[in-house]
Amino acid sequence: MESKNSAKKVVSLVLLLLGVGLIVGALVLDFTGSKFSMRGAMLIVGIVAVLAGLYFIPSSGRHKDIINVIFLFPLLFTFCVTVIIPLVLGIFYSMTDWTGIKYTQFVGFANYAAMFKEVPFLWSLLLTILFVVFNMILVNVVAFVLALLCTSRIRGIGFFRAAYFLPNLIGGIVLGYVWQFVFNNVLIKVIGNGISLLSNTPTAFMAIIVVYIWQYAGYIMLIYINGLVTIPGEVIEAANIDGAKPLATLFRIKIPMIASTITICTFLTLTSAFKQFDVNMALTNGTGSVQNFMGSYLTNGTQMLALNIYNTAISKNSYALGQAKAVLFFIILAVVSLIQVRISNKKEVEL
Amino acid sequence: MKAKRLFAALLALVMILALAACGETGETEGAGKGDTIRLVNGKIEVDAQLKKLAQMYEEKTGVKVEIESMGGGIDIQGTLKGYYQAGNMPDIFVNGSDADFANWDGLLADMSGEAWVADTDAAYVNKDGTVGFPYTTEAIGLAYNADILEKCGVDPATLTSPAAYEEAFAKIDAKKDELGLTAVVGYYTEPVNLYWSSGNHIFGQYLDAGLARDNTTYIDMLNDGGKLDEARFTDFAKFIDLLQQYADKNMMISGTYDQEILNFASGKYAFVTQGSWIGATMTTDDKAEYEAAGSFKCAFAPYAFQDGIDTILTNSPSWWSVYKDGNVDAAKAFLQWLTTDEAQEVLVMEAGFISPFKSCKWVANDPFAQTIADYVAAGKTSNWHWQGMKEGIAQNYTGQVFNDFAQGKLDVDGFVKTMQQVCAACYA
Repeated sequence: MESKNSAKKVVSLVLLLLGVGLIVGALVLDFTGSKFSMRGAMLIVGIVAVLAGLYFIPSSGRHKDIINVIFLFPLLFTFCVTVIIPLVLGIFYSMTDWTGIKYTQFVGFANYAAMFKEVPFLWSLLLTILFVVFNMILVNVVAFVLALLCTSRIRGIGFFRAAYFLPNLIGGIVLGYVWQFVFNNVLIKVIGNGISLLSNTPTAFMAIIVVYIWQYAGYIMLIYINGLVTIPGEVIEAANIDGAKPLATLFRIKIPMIASTITICTFLTLTSAFKQFDVNMALTNGTGSVQNFMGSYLTNGTQMLALNIYNTAISKNSYALGQAKAVLFFIILAVVSLIQVRISNKKEVEL
Repeated sequence: MKAKRLFAALLALVMILALAACGETGETEGAGKGDTIRLVNGKIEVDAQLKKLAQMYEEKTGVKVEIESMGGGIDIQGTLKGYYQAGNMPDIFVNGSDADFANWDGLLADMSGEAWVADTDAAYVNKDGTVGFPYTTEAIGLAYNADILEKCGVDPATLTSPAAYEEAFAKIDAKKDELGLTAVVGYYTEPVNLYWSSGNHIFGQYLDAGLARDNTTYIDMLNDGGKLDEARFTDFAKFIDLLQQYADKNMMISGTYDQEILNFASGKYAFVTQGSWIGATMTTDDKAEYEAAGSFKCAFAPYAFQDGIDTILTNSPSWWSVYKDGNVDAAKAFLQWLTTDEAQEVLVMEAGFISPFKSCKWVANDPFAQTIADYVAAGKTSNWHWQGMKEGIAQNYTGQVFNDFAQGKLDVDGFVKTMQQVCAACYA
């Protein structure tokens, strides 16, 4: 037994050393810009050797933990590469003068300070919050009404469900261009005074809201339908027998019974409205003027937060400033999501 | 037990081999790059012609040229930055402005030793040397339909002052119905997709019209905190106001580029505020309408917002640069070959380019080729200093102000004041 253990120890040590050596070697080669084509293979063989070495460590007590980690490794590795590393790099870049190609100096929080001094950005922030509030209410109301219609006993329900859901299957960019055509070439002739709805900031903002509802209400409707059909039939039947009017059934039975669905839909619309980008970009690309906001004449009347970040980085070529805005955007969304998780958990306990 | 262990070990071995194999194939594909060069082209409309050139070059020298065309709203610099991060840089790629070249500071190969440099005035030169290969010439002026001007008795040569324009516009406007015109001028300011026309090209007239090619007075002022010369800009604003009075009011605010060119090609406007690139559209997509309108003669008039302005703005709209760590020698050899007679024939006669090379004897079959040649010969061209403006200024700032002016939200004075404020904000 003793000899077997020591043999294992040797194997494990050799594998660990070999693995670490290979990994370090591969990384050094990579960072020195070597074109040696086996360096990827070296890295992978090194990682596998380290894992095998860990597996052979003759520690009886912690063996299970080690195996657990090895099994989790592929997932942890992927998570690191696709989420953790970009997040850390992103935060780092936001504190430099990164141009998307290289950076020359570390600027600390200068980008964050500049961002809050930029009036157009503050406008975008305010506009996004307005947009979120409008949409959270309107999308949910429209979707709920549609869901009620689609669970009632009218003819051709399958058709209506499909028809309301269809806009959601069209990509936002395509949809934006389709509606742009409608506003600029069709509606202009109907309401014709030669000025498209998209040319004025308030009407353009309304136009984005309308298009967004048109796109998103069908999707939320499906969730509401799902909630509505899970209400037990006997409860509604009992209410009918007791002489409850349809409105009373709706407010006293249906809505309370789908409270958790309402929570889910509210947060779904909230986060997705916050992240609104494609329709905004295709429809107005953020144009529209604001005569006087905090003493400035603004030219980004309909530009929401995500588009502001994109245009800062790409069109104005300030990658670092855009990255700083994106970090703020991430924090806002993270806070919203945390609140959502809290509330959903509470609701589930209550039910 | 033993069999199970053996099986596990074998499985692990297979996995390692598979992974290693994956890693390897990925690498070797890149390694055999010796006789291939990759070109990222920013003019998607000439993709087919460039591919033809690539094939010709491969037949001649055995060097394979991959053409990767981008355009139609794709942010080329953004994509290139992604390529750079991924270690997937092309050997030749397009740069369109001072800021683009500044992005790649220190990463571009100096081509000053190439033979073609002596053959052109349009190469892009900065402190790294000659880093931009010019491939075409474009001109921005007030494009006009010469037939209509003739019928109205307007001599285009006199259009060198605001007063002359006012008189000419009034003359044409009076005969509008008789000639089937929708409006005298096609002036479009839609800010979402057409901001580049107003914010870059028309604004560029303020920066350069009437000035010598090396005169950087107004671009220097602009780049110094976004300052505008009030007197010059006010004259410019009055001229824009004049354009607006005679413009197609239904289209001025939200019309599209396609409608603008189609209407001009069908002879519905006497003037259009676009540059020489519309010639290609007029003779391809809008060919039927252009022929129906009598394939009228086209030319440019200067944006004479002050007395005596008589130049149009010409330059290479973008350049091809060679990436320093790419296949530099093969890339340089390919660019040199592009200036040879057989390659220029394709570029000029098929792609419709106006060659920036003096030795080129081909003349494009383009409606605007003659007028550009005339202006160049007379030395009446100004530079494109708008390419040195801060990035994103047209899209995010000035384009919208032109639209507000067209909508009547601003008067001439308000336009000047707002533009001053917006430019200052852009450079803040």
